[in-house]
Amino acid sequence: MNGWTAAGTALLLFGAAPAGWAAATGPVRRRVVAQNSATTLVALAVLLLAQGFGRPAYQDPALVLAVLGPAGTLLYVRLLADKLAAGPALPRSLRAATLLNYAAVLLVVGPLCAATDPGRAVLKLLVIGALLALGSRVANRAASAAASSGGGPGGPGGPFGPGEGPGARPGEGTSDV
Amino acid sequence: MSDVPLALALALVAVAGTATVLVRDPVRQSFLLSLLGLALALVFLLFQAPDVALSQLAVGTALTPLMVLLSVRKVRRRARDERREEHE
Repeated sequence: MNGWTAAGTALLLFGAAPAGWAAATGPVRRRVVAQNSATTLVALAVLLLAQGFGRPAYQDPALVLAVLGPAGTLLYVRLLADKLAAGPALPRSLRAATLLNYAAVLLVVGPLCAATDPGRAVLKLLVIGALLALGSRVANRAASAAASSGGGPGGPGGPFGPGEGPGARPGEGTSDV
Repeated sequence: MSDVPLALALALVAVAGTATVLVRDPVRQSFLLSLLGLALALVFLLFQAPDVALSQLAVGTALTPLMVLLSVRKVRRRARDERREEHE
């Protein structure tokens, strides 16, 4: 067990497990943000473990997770929009989760790039890191926008905004039948 | 070589799976299901099967929550419409 594997295990234990706990308990708005953090941290742990095992092919699940994790979070934001809009806006601590994700991405991808030989492998690592940071930014912006758009009943809403509250879609119920 | 991370990932799977069974609200279950998918993908990766981990990620992180949440939405909307018709 070398340093990379130990770092990946530590990231799983002290990063992904608490994020998973936060995603499994508590109010919906915290769950959505924590789910995004959990996917980001698991992807970073996979990168570290791949380096520790000396198998670059193991980086592929991290790449897939970097694309699919934010997609899953956006899905939650879209389908739970009424619950998010019903609560208060996101507190500052949840907005800081994005910064935490950025810091984790930098702290993991930087040493990994320094440890690999320059070439396509470094490019792949950089692409994965950029996707993780970008996905975390997009997902958290969507979550905070959905949570803060529910301030009032007449608040401004996008096409998928808070207009999905109970009884806000008169045409939909009849067209289903 | 990977005993410690494997034990950790297996523990995560056990906790997430048990919690998914014990929680009764479908929306909360969908969050736990996506976490269970992540933990299972990690286990598959540590058992040296990255291809299985790839497909588990594709199914577990996006498709399963989509199915659960869409079904919950449909059922609740139908129940609401029926209640409204009874009210009228």
